[in-house]
Amino acid sequence: MTSSDFQTAVQLNRLHLSFTGQHVLNDLSLSIFHGDKVTLTGPSGSGKSTVLRCILGLVMPDSGTITILGETVTRHNIWRKRRHIAYVAQEPDLGTGSVKEVIETPFSYRANAGLRDNLSRLPEIMERFNLPQPLLDKQITRLSGGEKQRTALVIAILLDRPIVLLDEASSALDTKNKQAVADYFRQAENTTVLSVAHDTEWLGFATRIVDMKEIQKTEGKTG
Amino acid sequence: MNQIIDISLLSLAGGYLLLIFPVAIMLYLRVGMLKETAVAVLRMTVQLLFVGLYLQVVFKLNNPFLNLAWVAAMILVADLSILKGCRLKLKRFLLPMFIALVVGTLLPMVFFAGIILRLPGWFEAQYVIPLAGMILGNCLRADIIGLNNFYQSIHTNEKAYHQSLAYGAALTEALNPFFRDALRSALAPTIASMATIGLVSLPGMMTGVILAGADPFTAIKYQIAIMIAIFSGTAITVFLAIRLTVANSFNAFGILHSDILRDQ
Repeated sequence: MTSSDFQTAVQLNRLHLSFTGQHVLNDLSLSIFHGDKVTLTGPSGSGKSTVLRCILGLVMPDSGTITILGETVTRHNIWRKRRHIAYVAQEPDLGTGSVKEVIETPFSYRANAGLRDNLSRLPEIMERFNLPQPLLDKQITRLSGGEKQRTALVIAILLDRPIVLLDEASSALDTKNKQAVADYFRQAENTTVLSVAHDTEWLGFATRIVDMKEIQKTEGKTG
Repeated sequence: MNQIIDISLLSLAGGYLLLIFPVAIMLYLRVGMLKETAVAVLRMTVQLLFVGLYLQVVFKLNNPFLNLAWVAAMILVADLSILKGCRLKLKRFLLPMFIALVVGTLLPMVFFAGIILRLPGWFEAQYVIPLAGMILGNCLRADIIGLNNFYQSIHTNEKAYHQSLAYGAALTEALNPFFRDALRSALAPTIASMATIGLVSLPGMMTGVILAGADPFTAIKYQIAIMIAIFSGTAITVFLAIRLTVANSFNAFGILHSDILRDQ
């Protein structure tokens, strides 16, 4: 491989995925460089979320390879690869328990044992996203969509991963909070962000906007 | 103590007359269910007749290997009915479930028979078969609750489960909350029945021992021992049922195989 691979955070190479006979991903290739802020666009159902879930090893493509930080993802290294990634799902489901418990749970995993100190930044990050401290004692299921989304973002940030995947992560946020999130990631120069979004405020923060149509074969032609 | 009075077949036939009341109520309220009731009564009668006849033979021979074979057959039937009872496609679970039931039933039973009862003969039919049956019946119920709860809940809460994988959880770490919930729901009925036993109803085994002519104090000793055996059996079997089936149910990426759950 060439030296440019060392600058590639995520590389998707000829991904194919069909579901009940329908192409979801059709020969999709995409390279994302370190520090890039890439936003995927395309109509709903065009497979944007699936791309993120493939990178996380939550969905297995039928063929093609995914390379994360210079290493091709396999069934053996996926568990290690996930430690390089933070993921905020669309309408995140963070389980049950108080907000505090939900935020602390990922830090109880062996893989994140070295990150426990990051929790000391919690008050600062919460304030940044306009989440008041008393929220910590509330049950996560009682939070509004926007609060849940920001909680998921707070966890993603505290995990301090080099790669962040955001699936419509600002959809339930008001302009002020959207701006706060966009500002945060714009300043995080070393963080590679791949997001899926519709709204223009978010697109403004991207260094690169990629249409799903541009990176794969169009409907009708099969690989 | 007195010998238990036998019920003559004629009087038993008379006993079916008691069914007049539920049937009349069902007809009056048009609840339907008459066919199900008829089938259930018939099945109960036929099944128990067979078991009665078979057990007569088993008890008469009282051969340890035959007794063991009978227990193994009961466990296999339990295994198959769990596979049927769970809304899960459990074909690949037949063996792990069998192991979970064998250990969950035999471990407390051997403890009961060997240490508490100090049976003279190894595998005495009169004790071993009813005890194994009681423990197994409860293991079966607990496994159905536990497995159903575990796999359905991962399926329903797929998003939260995937999120924890994305956070870097190892498979066991991601499964632990579901494991905990499943075990809790499977053990809760036994815990509740231990807590209310004797207040609400006289338990089956105690009733049996009293009817057989034993002193009530002997009966309660049996009951205490069997409750503990049942509780420990259910905990062992549910723990093993989930632990042993997990290996076959998730792919190398930690994703639940889609064919585990029957179409719903």
